[in-house]
Amino acid sequence: MRSHRFKSRTLLSLTAALSFLSALAGISSAVEDVLSPEQIDFFESKVRPLLVKRCYECHAGEEDNGGLSLDSREGLRRGGDTGPAIKPGDPEMSLLIEAVRYQNQDLKMPPKNRLPADEVAVLERWIAMGAPDPRTVTANSGPKPTGMSIKDGRTFWSFLPVDDPAPPEVKQADWVRTPIDAFILAELEERGLSPAPPADKRSLIRRVTFDLIGLPPTRDEVDAFLMDDSPVAFQRVVDRLLQSPHYGVRWGRHWLDVARYADSNGLDENLAFGNAWRYRDYVVNAFNNDKPFDRFVIEQLAGDLLSTPTLETRTATGFLVLGAKVLAEPDRDKLTMDTIDEQLDTIGKVFLGMTIGCVRCHDHKFDPLKQTDYYALAAIMKSTQTFGDSMTGVIKHWNEHEFATEEEKIELKRLDAEIAKRNSAASTFKSQATTKLRAAIQAKAAEYLAAATQFAPDAPLTIVQEVAALQELHPRVLHHCRLHLKYNKETPFFSKWHELSRRGDSADAVHSHYKSLFNEVETTLAEKKKADPKSTTLDDPRLEEARSALSDASGFLAIPPKPEFAFDQPTLQEYYRLMEAARLFESSAADAPAVMGVTDGTVLTSLPIHIRGSHLNLGVAVNREFPEVMRSSRVRPIFSNQQSGRLELARWMAHTQHPLTARVYVNRIWRWHFGAGIVRTTENFGRLGDRPTHANLLDWLARYMMENGWSTKQLHRLILRSSVYQMSVLHPNAKAGQEIDPDDRWLWKFRMQRLESEQVRDSILSVSGRLDMSLGGKTVPLRNRQFVFNHTSVDHTKYDSLRRALYLPVIRNNLYTLFEQFDFPDPTMPTGSRHTTVVAPQALLLLNSELVMDSADHFAQRLLRESQDGAMRVRAAYEWAYARPPSPSELLNALSFLASVTAGGRTDASTVEADVQQTAWSLFCQTLIASNEFFYLR
Amino acid sequence: MQLGSLQTRRQLLKTSALGFGHLALTTMLAADEGTGQNELNSSNPLAPKKPHLLSRAKRIIFLFMKGGPSHVDTFDPKPLLTRDSGKPLPFALPRVTFAKQNNLLRSPWKFKQYGESGLPVSSLFPKVAQHVDDMCILRSVHGTNPAHGGALLKLHTGTDQFVRPSLGAWVTYGLGTENQNLPAFVTICPTLAHGGVNNWGAAFLPAHCQGTPIGNASLTAAKARVKHIRNPRISQELQRKQLDFLSQMNRGHMDDVGSTAALEGRLNSFELAYRMQTAMPDVQELANESQMTKRLYGIDDPVTEDFGRQCLLARRFLERGVRFVQVTHSDSEVQWDQHSNLYQGHIKNAAEVDKPIAGLLSDLKTRGLLKDTLVVWGGEFGRTPTAQGTNGRDHNPHGFSMWMAGGGVKGGYAYGATDDYGYYAAVDKMHVHDLHATILHLLGLDHEQLTFRYAGRDFRLTDVAGEVATDILA
Repeated sequence: MRSHRFKSRTLLSLTAALSFLSALAGISSAVEDVLSPEQIDFFESKVRPLLVKRCYECHAGEEDNGGLSLDSREGLRRGGDTGPAIKPGDPEMSLLIEAVRYQNQDLKMPPKNRLPADEVAVLERWIAMGAPDPRTVTANSGPKPTGMSIKDGRTFWSFLPVDDPAPPEVKQADWVRTPIDAFILAELEERGLSPAPPADKRSLIRRVTFDLIGLPPTRDEVDAFLMDDSPVAFQRVVDRLLQSPHYGVRWGRHWLDVARYADSNGLDENLAFGNAWRYRDYVVNAFNNDKPFDRFVIEQLAGDLLSTPTLETRTATGFLVLGAKVLAEPDRDKLTMDTIDEQLDTIGKVFLGMTIGCVRCHDHKFDPLKQTDYYALAAIMKSTQTFGDSMTGVIKHWNEHEFATEEEKIELKRLDAEIAKRNSAASTFKSQATTKLRAAIQAKAAEYLAAATQFAPDAPLTIVQEVAALQELHPRVLHHCRLHLKYNKETPFFSKWHELSRRGDSADAVHSHYKSLFNEVETTLAEKKKADPKSTTLDDPRLEEARSALSDASGFLAIPPKPEFAFDQPTLQEYYRLMEAARLFESSAADAPAVMGVTDGTVLTSLPIHIRGSHLNLGVAVNREFPEVMRSSRVRPIFSNQQSGRLELARWMAHTQHPLTARVYVNRIWRWHFGAGIVRTTENFGRLGDRPTHANLLDWLARYMMENGWSTKQLHRLILRSSVYQMSVLHPNAKAGQEIDPDDRWLWKFRMQRLESEQVRDSILSVSGRLDMSLGGKTVPLRNRQFVFNHTSVDHTKYDSLRRALYLPVIRNNLYTLFEQFDFPDPTMPTGSRHTTVVAPQALLLLNSELVMDSADHFAQRLLRESQDGAMRVRAAYEWAYARPPSPSELLNALSFLASVTAGGRTDASTVEADVQQTAWSLFCQTLIASNEFFYLR
Repeated sequence: MQLGSLQTRRQLLKTSALGFGHLALTTMLAADEGTGQNELNSSNPLAPKKPHLLSRAKRIIFLFMKGGPSHVDTFDPKPLLTRDSGKPLPFALPRVTFAKQNNLLRSPWKFKQYGESGLPVSSLFPKVAQHVDDMCILRSVHGTNPAHGGALLKLHTGTDQFVRPSLGAWVTYGLGTENQNLPAFVTICPTLAHGGVNNWGAAFLPAHCQGTPIGNASLTAAKARVKHIRNPRISQELQRKQLDFLSQMNRGHMDDVGSTAALEGRLNSFELAYRMQTAMPDVQELANESQMTKRLYGIDDPVTEDFGRQCLLARRFLERGVRFVQVTHSDSEVQWDQHSNLYQGHIKNAAEVDKPIAGLLSDLKTRGLLKDTLVVWGGEFGRTPTAQGTNGRDHNPHGFSMWMAGGGVKGGYAYGATDDYGYYAAVDKMHVHDLHATILHLLGLDHEQLTFRYAGRDFRLTDVAGEVATDILA
């Protein structure tokens, strides 16, 4: 509404401009020159005190909300974001007056309380007078520049071109196996630190196996590595792991963290993303096939715009659609801009390490990013369609590319009809049951009114139930009936009840009165219907009132809307059965073959700046562009006027000359291997982010990756081959290290890392021999766009699948408990560095959850099958769980624990010996699973 | 173990063992078994903290009425609405409405004055009305979203667009908790729809700040439990034996790799978990409550039983030092969301909560808890004075009522006003940010000082807005 008004204002002023401009200018300069004493007096006695009292709190001095200062003549006339506050001489065209009149719902001032009418009149009169204003102090001149200038930005480390540093010279040269080592060692030597010795082979294979495929090594794999004395033994392990399809399961998951992947929308309306899995499979395959990272970037941002788009490249654009959106937002324009904001924020953090979302409302407070940069990018995204045309009620649907064959379409239509049929079977059953119930209740209307005399309106339902039972009435209906009577004392139909109920024999009196009244209604209506079959009402107001009250579905005989309160058990069970059948049918019904993805919409070559981020407050238009500070070429980018510009944006980001893309990516690879990035803030390479510990190494790695065709696997090989990756977590002189570098920022030893949530869950299943290693496909047990939660809050999502954790549903707003407890990232925002928290509910889960207890049982059964000998079993358990045999004392401790359980652990006298054995071994296995050694990689 | 001064607070928050729960460094803490009170310890982020300001309330209970109770039918009488029922709204509707609006619809309920203050309450809440002299009715709340999901998120987290920490998480972050064996922030039977977990989540605040859900709206309060709080397969003695063995193994491991805060904390987190297994069921065991108390909350009546149980549980949490308790009145029909059948729906809903809430207020007062417990009542929005269909009301985030009691607010006081018909907040408007600022203020927290640095920015519950409604302070 505000922007509308704004437009019409502009039009009006255009037409009026020629004739009025000079006149207006005349008035204002005249006022400026000479103010009459009356004018000054009026301002000083009426206007100034009013402004001070009502407006200065937010619009004076340092406070210039909305860019508006009212403490100077100049500030008032220059106005704020929405333009000049006043038009001297014309109150009707003055924003100030519009605001204080409180008629425009989007512009009401003062915000808390409306001005009294006389104060509004003062302002109107003052402006009509030409707004005489004797104040001479100048206002502060508009919004102050914030953040970093573009010029300064070009010298900030992350915007400098990627350098070509030579590996430094070091003293302990024999430690250097790759150039990486030289960069690391040089920093250590400079600080008087020395690197830790190499890790033992068992630790190393456990470390790298979890690192690359997210699972513990098998006993055979450990043995093979121990037997292999060749210098390339470790390389062989690495190659084997990189070729495993489970490499993609682990490293694809890293990318899904960054891509804020989820199987449901979350936020306000939690609809299932039934086709998100296709993007997940795309990512897993991309890692397994070592898709060049530049290509990976381009496909995700603009896979639909390539010269030969394929299903795969369209699937990649699911990246842009996966965000959490306020699907029921009734303000469509707000929704569009909120969605674009989510996309820009994500693109910024994921590829550029920039918090672009901050720039929606104002220039970045710290980084050289301007609002013009934001809306130049927003123009690209506004030319992109993220929503489709269909809806579920008020809930909008995201865009998908469908690729169903004609036959499939026919089948889908049939399925949709079948789902609708089953849903309506449940609702039809409910409405029929309600109709039946209503008829039965209406037949006893007089009995209800009579029974209602027997208890007070606030009597507990238990009392009402007793009364109801005597006449086989519905207790909740009777209860409601009594409350209804309480709220309706005035109309004749109900006042009679109150009158009668005060008498001693109230129940009988009420019953006979209403019984005869209802009989009269019935016979009169029947007679009337004889004359006119269509007639529904009665002429006698007394009878008509009774008839209308009796037939009012929400009247004194209303049936509770909640099925649990309305129906008897058999009816309720049947209703539930039908509902559940419908839900299950829908959950397992095939989806339309489709991928989530964007498509181009109407191409906008420019977009107005949204002042303070509001789509109701538009400023000057800016053309599509890339952020200025990151542009390395002097040639302004040229965008196709046939396309949104996403392809140009993607290609620019994937260019080897881009200062950020490669740096941000290799930094994350480093983070995922070492537990902390070279830049610790993996999503923020701006001024508030951390500086790189090894800036030269970061550039060297970025260049190495680009030189090797943006290959991720090549980078893994190089990193894993380095001495720095193969160091032990223990250092013979740890004390010195602790003192100089307690956080191990300079990598004087390998950092011990706790398993991530998926590794926790998969290794528990793996050691118990239960893990299902199958790959790919749809796993969320919901049909596309089905509600994860409707209003009932019943959680139907199950996590009992034994497939790898990657394939468990990621339900926004209600993550799987194990994920939530073990620091799975918030799937609404890009996360390159997960947290590691230790909270007691984790311990509860490990002690008491079915997953862990069942797995421990399986683990124990595996041991019992493995050997008859206790010591051999303990040995096997240690090797499976920790990739090492127990020490003699550990063996003794374990056996003595087992013995103590079998001796005194019976909880039930009838427990047979075998069960006690099983319980003891199961508790032993659970303890191994819960232990620190299981959870930490050394 | 080392807790070197070089270790930053944030790292500590990230890595240390927190129970519902505290930094489980029992060697450093002298724990009182009875209350779980610990000596103040600066390294425990959940230790009780000194508030910024004078704290009028030490704890808070939020009685959340899901779906949006109608203010013009409960706490905000509108004579002109009665007079002009059936006529069109004499001023403009909002730019965006949820559904189509018809003409004005009068309230089917009568208002009556109660107490010494004479504040009017409708006949829907006859029992709560007995407490008006302790209540501060906020009649000018506004600024949530027109749809349920957005409005729930806005009310609980201050934003309908991003995932941000919830009010309870901020309070926990700011004040810590008084009982280390129980969660600092509990939400009983919350709804999983419309924002779900985000409404009690910690977002970027440390994980220990998040609310602990007890059941959800699909379960009755009698069946609601914290996840994994019991082991159904083995006895406690056997589990004790297992924990001793675990602890022995973990110490052995630390002998090998050296002790760190994380390893040590993890070791102790099991001990804490073990204690919580006793503490939590104790709170939920209502057997020792007298019949009189149960009747006070309406637990003897099936209509009020469920919400009564929630309220009684809430009191038990509060008196054990839990900082923030939310109870939710929600069912499979979005409870208070009467787009049609306003009359029947609101009668049923009010009947379910009126007695339990009145009971809670009486009980808190009798026990001397009301003076420093802030009680907050309300939904995610109010309802329109205009009709939706013939007998319903649509969502109205532009002006609606909530109320507070106890905890340093003026009793028998009505703050702010909506327009003559109850559509828009008009006098002393209280935006959701203002509401949050005021709640924090009552708890002794300055909403501008309660910040957390994340992604390079200092975040606040109230973003860049919020003003304390000082008029309501007692």
